[in-house]
Amino acid sequence: MLNVMTIGLVTLMVITLNSLSTAYREAARLPFEDIQGNIIIQRNGNVPETTSGVLLSCSLAPIPQELVSKIGRINGVEDISEALSLWVFDPDNFKRVSGVDFHDGFGETLTAKIIDGSIPAADNQILVEKTYAQKYSLELGRETTISGRQFTVAGIVGTAGNEIMASDIYLNLGAAQEMANQSKNLQQVETFNKTDVNIIFVNVSQPDLATVTQNIKGIMTDSDTNVGKTPLGQTVGSYNIYAPQSFENQISTVFRISDKLTWVISLILIIGAAIILARNTLRAILERRREFGIMKTVGFKNHDIQREVGEEIFIQSLVGFLIGLAASVIAIVILSRTTVSIAIPWELTAYPHFLLANPNEANVTQMHLLPIKLESPQVLVSFVIIMAVGLATSLLSVWQINKLKPMEVMSHE
Amino acid sequence: MNNIVSVKQLTKTLGNIKVIDHVSFNIKKGEFLAVQGPSGSGKTTLLSLLAGLEQADEGNILVADRELTSMKEDELALFRRYNVGFVFQSFNLIPTLNVVENIALPLFPEHISRKDMFERAGKVAKAVGLTERLDHYPNELSGGEQQRVAVARSLINEPKIIFADEPTGNLDTKTGQRIIELLRSLNSDREQTMVLVTHDDTIANESDRIIRILDGRIASEN
Repeated sequence: MLNVMTIGLVTLMVITLNSLSTAYREAARLPFEDIQGNIIIQRNGNVPETTSGVLLSCSLAPIPQELVSKIGRINGVEDISEALSLWVFDPDNFKRVSGVDFHDGFGETLTAKIIDGSIPAADNQILVEKTYAQKYSLELGRETTISGRQFTVAGIVGTAGNEIMASDIYLNLGAAQEMANQSKNLQQVETFNKTDVNIIFVNVSQPDLATVTQNIKGIMTDSDTNVGKTPLGQTVGSYNIYAPQSFENQISTVFRISDKLTWVISLILIIGAAIILARNTLRAILERRREFGIMKTVGFKNHDIQREVGEEIFIQSLVGFLIGLAASVIAIVILSRTTVSIAIPWELTAYPHFLLANPNEANVTQMHLLPIKLESPQVLVSFVIIMAVGLATSLLSVWQINKLKPMEVMSHE
Repeated sequence: MNNIVSVKQLTKTLGNIKVIDHVSFNIKKGEFLAVQGPSGSGKTTLLSLLAGLEQADEGNILVADRELTSMKEDELALFRRYNVGFVFQSFNLIPTLNVVENIALPLFPEHISRKDMFERAGKVAKAVGLTERLDHYPNELSGGEQQRVAVARSLINEPKIIFADEPTGNLDTKTGQRIIELLRSLNSDREQTMVLVTHDDTIANESDRIIRILDGRIASEN
């Protein structure tokens, strides 16, 4: 019974710990579900002296097309999307405006959230976020002014305020670039060319993620790419690269466990279980010496007894594993109802905190249900490990049974 | 009568002590033999050598035409299963098995169905008067009943010879006498060879022959 409970407990711990570790790694990817990419690149720019007209959001610096192309050519990059995030301080209100290519990866993710209307077909058409649309009565077909230009509402989009690149208004990238290029306030702090953007979304296959990230860092710090100074005299080169790992580091609950730590804990549990099982088996064999002695006396071969003990250990291991697996399923169901909070960096959901009565309101946190599930490879690995421990214990018992001499056992009774 | 056991110059040393010292004797088929001797004289060691539970250092043991001294461990196990029955002083039943399972224990390694196994065990149980107790566990039985189970277990494979080491040692006189009567009747009815180690002269006197052991040697035979 002790063996069964030990195996059950170890199975529960190993499966649950590994599932938790995987779930937190998966959770770190959830913010990226909104953007069709797994690397976000921004460059830091200069802080404008006055907040009026059109500005690059969060004082981001422009990213030239050459840089976008260079990144797009890195091996492992599957897709690249670009956008221009602007703050528009119009006299009547403040707007977060994003210029988007509605037909690239990010644009398609955005247009998939259109709840009314259609994708803007012309530069003077826009998508409006539903809450903003309600607040300013911007129904389909209505006209609105952004930095002195007239736009027509082509669609309403159901983006959430805490999504990456959440904006009030989305318009064609070219229109946004034109707007930024012609903004005197913006050009005072940055040199913005008509094809510049200020955010890049890179989609990379999972195995290449680390390598591509390193290559992007190399490009971003390359002096050829970042020569010169900004109009305000600051050195160019400061940049932000966000990958799922960036959010992994932010999920700083006590439950976040790194892969290595998970494996170390699993290994300790397995070794501990193996020691307990070996001890219990040896004790059981000692307690059953007389029984085995009787069996040998009446004609059982060593192999007959070993087979019987081996079957017992196999059944114990199997029952223990199944109990542990059932307990893991229950634990995973319970854990799947817990939430993880992921703080999204200010630059990714840009809102000017100085406009808020409470600047902390500008901080954005995404709440996600923990994406924990029973992974069949983990179940298989745990099963193999438990059976290997059972086999090792059986071999130990074989050695003990072989040593047993029936008359010695009988004469000790 | 033919010899079922033939022992020549048998020697067994444990540590520095010669427990059995160049012993030679024969046992005839169907004989009821008593082995007597003081404690430590080598009776139990002799019994275990004859039964293939211990390996001899020197000499030969021929039991049922099989030379035991040249057999390996697994061969000895098979030899015991089919040729030898045991009855011990302390019964040596397995407490987690019931009566019928204890009786059928030597059949467990065989590839026969549980039904057949327990049918055979039931017949043997009937022969020793345990029909009513088949589902009971050893701790639910009296000493005499437990020893009957042990006798039944020793008979299950219809062995050529039964070794009984102080079978009445843990029983009161009356119960002990019944066990001896049972063994005697098996001996006479089935021509079952019996080798009985006993301290009890009364029991020994009921045997066909008595071998007395002293310091590992045969002191007398009558």
